[in-house]
Amino acid sequence: MKTYILFLQQCIRSKEVWISLLLITVLGIIAINIGNKHIERQQQAIAEVNEYQKTHVDRQIALHNDDLGLLLYYTKFSYINSLNPLAGISIGQTDVNPIVKQITIKTFEAQRFDTDLVNPMNLQSGNLDLSFVIIYLFPLLVIVLSFNVVSEETETGTWQLVAIQATSKLRFIISKLAIRFVLLVSVLILLFCIAKFVMNIPFTSRFLAMIALAICYIIFWFALSFFVIIHKKTSGFNALLLLSAWLVLLILIPAGINSYVSLKYPVPEALSTAIAQRDGYHVKWDTDKTATIAKFYKHYPQFEKYGYPTDGFNWLWYYAMQQMGDDDSKKEREALNKKIRLREQTSKKLATAVPNMYIQLIFNQLSGTSMSQQLNYLDATRQFHEKLRLFFYPTIFEGKKADVIDWSQFTPEYYKERLPVSWLQTILPMILASLFIFLLSIPMIKKL
Amino acid sequence: MKWVNIRLFALNFWRNATNLKAFYVLYFIFIVLAGYAIVNGVQNHITQNNIRQDHQVKARQSWEANPDKHPHRMSHFGTFAFRKHPPLAMFDYGLESFTGNTIFLEAHQQNSVNFSEATFSTGTLRFGELSLALLLQLVLPLIIFFIGFPSVAADRQNGTLKILLSQGASWKELLIGKSMGLLAISLLYFIPVFLLLTITLITGNDQAMSDHLWLRFILIGLGYLVFLCIVSILTIVVSATSSSPKNALLRLLGIWLLFLVLLPKSAQALGNYWFPTPSKLAFQSAIEKEVIEQGDSHNPDDPHYQHLKDSVLKAHNVDEVTDLPFNYSGFVMREGEKISSALYRKHHEALVNIYKKQNNVTHFSSFINPFTAIKLVSMTLSETDFSSYMDFQNKADDYRYQLAQTMNELQMEYISPKKASGSEGKKHIIDHTHWSAFQDFSHEPIKFSNSIKIAFPALLSLMLWTIVAMVWLVITSKRAKAI
Repeated sequence: MKTYILFLQQCIRSKEVWISLLLITVLGIIAINIGNKHIERQQQAIAEVNEYQKTHVDRQIALHNDDLGLLLYYTKFSYINSLNPLAGISIGQTDVNPIVKQITIKTFEAQRFDTDLVNPMNLQSGNLDLSFVIIYLFPLLVIVLSFNVVSEETETGTWQLVAIQATSKLRFIISKLAIRFVLLVSVLILLFCIAKFVMNIPFTSRFLAMIALAICYIIFWFALSFFVIIHKKTSGFNALLLLSAWLVLLILIPAGINSYVSLKYPVPEALSTAIAQRDGYHVKWDTDKTATIAKFYKHYPQFEKYGYPTDGFNWLWYYAMQQMGDDDSKKEREALNKKIRLREQTSKKLATAVPNMYIQLIFNQLSGTSMSQQLNYLDATRQFHEKLRLFFYPTIFEGKKADVIDWSQFTPEYYKERLPVSWLQTILPMILASLFIFLLSIPMIKKL
Repeated sequence: MKWVNIRLFALNFWRNATNLKAFYVLYFIFIVLAGYAIVNGVQNHITQNNIRQDHQVKARQSWEANPDKHPHRMSHFGTFAFRKHPPLAMFDYGLESFTGNTIFLEAHQQNSVNFSEATFSTGTLRFGELSLALLLQLVLPLIIFFIGFPSVAADRQNGTLKILLSQGASWKELLIGKSMGLLAISLLYFIPVFLLLTITLITGNDQAMSDHLWLRFILIGLGYLVFLCIVSILTIVVSATSSSPKNALLRLLGIWLLFLVLLPKSAQALGNYWFPTPSKLAFQSAIEKEVIEQGDSHNPDDPHYQHLKDSVLKAHNVDEVTDLPFNYSGFVMREGEKISSALYRKHHEALVNIYKKQNNVTHFSSFINPFTAIKLVSMTLSETDFSSYMDFQNKADDYRYQLAQTMNELQMEYISPKKASGSEGKKHIIDHTHWSAFQDFSHEPIKFSNSIKIAFPALLSLMLWTIVAMVWLVITSKRAKAI
């Protein structure tokens, strides 16, 4: 025990250590504030939607009570992706993907990818959230604290003394590193605690998984440091090598993978779908009405009883046309979905091999801010849209007025995702990466 | 100060640096990465443009294939504007992956620009993309630091510095010479990259896709040249003021982290924090509210349109709108489009001003951060910056307005005044030749003069930094100690 206290004293003796620990804590607190602000804005947006929906529907009813078809042409219904408080820690894709969808019962495909108001400069520079601090800055701190653990002994000439006196040289190095590890993990836990209270995060398994993953990530960097320093090269060389590893892992490899994925899987299907859904609907204005309605009944046989009105403009025909925007672009849409999933899978597969990319993906997933969750939300929005359609179609086709419907039931609906955390799956790759590096170090350990 | 001595120091620096085996390893890796980046950049540029070009043609074909119909049907049929991928985007991706490239243009409403790379990517996109600009802005400075950190500090540590100075060399000669040597080495990295790019641009056949492409290219090249001078001088000065090579390295790495990772990110994050973007709903409902106040053409009882109707009827001395010499419903829609577009533009401008305020924090930070300055210069002149994107959005919206109003005017002119409303059916229609007569949208690239205006502060900052670096070098040469 006494030796550990001595190690700790030796470690925190230097001014640089204090400064860097203080710096990362301050940056962590700034990041938590930024994340919290993000959450507050999202909550505000949700509150605005709740308020808006009521006045919006009331206004439409007042204007178009006699014409339900026209009323539903204008009326927007809100579907909200419920916010996970962890999103403040890992903002992920929620800055580019909207968390609120306001949709009409017209062609869904035309509304699916409408974006929020975003400043592309903000997106490009990325969010300074806690996940950034953990992923980019903690490894640097690991490097700063550990690069000279062995070399400072050899450079000051005390290594010989240690070699004679210590029971095990390996244990000596590992205990020195352990002290530094405990120091960093304390800062990490402190930041997570601050985040918990600032953002009101409940103690869920997701939150704990996040902390565990962050700790594993720090272990990985210590393992890497360990591997480098036991080669007993000079301090300068160690620092250079570890920083190069940081540069390669955090900047070059991810950048290379990203360029590769966007080049390998461009998404022309998105543009094709956009054109197909437009043509699917609009061209029907000039084609045979009976054929359009017949096609509509093929999709929804339950409505066939409403017959084939072809004289002039009528809402049955109009909504059948709108439906065709979705139905006729099905092929393109499915190709698009397939391509997006393919992109995601490829980038996930490649990322699993790079700890920092992996942890970013899992952080996003735990916070509900990943791309796959956004896609699930969009799929759920499609179901919500379908539900609205099926609810309103008969009333419109029967030519009823708006007052037969109980409009109070149309408050914004929330999408809730239930994804259990698989602990083993979450942490295993990170532990394997650390183990792998440790195994690589074994030959050197023998030569210590 | 003797030129011979400066040359001697420069040559000596060059020889020492290129003597190391590690130098060639580093050089090899850099060139491989640059090769990968340019191949990726070129292919991506070609693929993206082919995709967008194809779809522009497809969208146009289906527009022109429309039969005779009511013009208002055509303003809803609408069309698409696809943003062209600028040629220099293969060098600097800039915001390219975060800006949408497709916008659906129709009457009555302004749609969002959709389908950015980011919407189809996982969160790992935020780690960045490997482009030549990234290599020059992020990696090359680091390489310069690695090569240059021991330059003076090592001489001091092993005592050579004392000998050199006692033999008649001056500090100024030494610092200038070493800086020039380091600059020469950085050019060894920079020139192949630029040659590669020049060849690509010459062999590619889309020079016309940019306004003053070559002028842009040359300015970007000069910008990087100045930038490399600043970085080289900075490295030598830091090395000269550090007690040991290790300290010099640590300081330079600290500078790299601060100026390339932390500051740029914090600047933008602060901008976003100080000037919050409104939610889409708040933005839209503010417009909706004002439209209702000024006159809602979709509300049959709207007072503004009641009043308009009365005055039009009076002016033409008739009792019913069906007796007017033109189609009244087209007239109302023209008025409605005018009001709602003007309101939209007003609000959109306010929104863009918020974005600009957010970005200005980054723009101003370029005066304390030369690394941000070169990033802005490079991105702006490559047409992958915020202003180029806004330029596209504005041009697309102008076209949208033109489309809607042309169709409304066609309706006023050619549709019978007796047809009060509705656009269905085959009776009240106009000839389909009108559709092809309306020009397709063609994305005109941003004017060079506009780009240079945006890039000016950052260019100025680069100039100022060069002066600062040189003055700093002179000051250091006066204060430096040999031991």
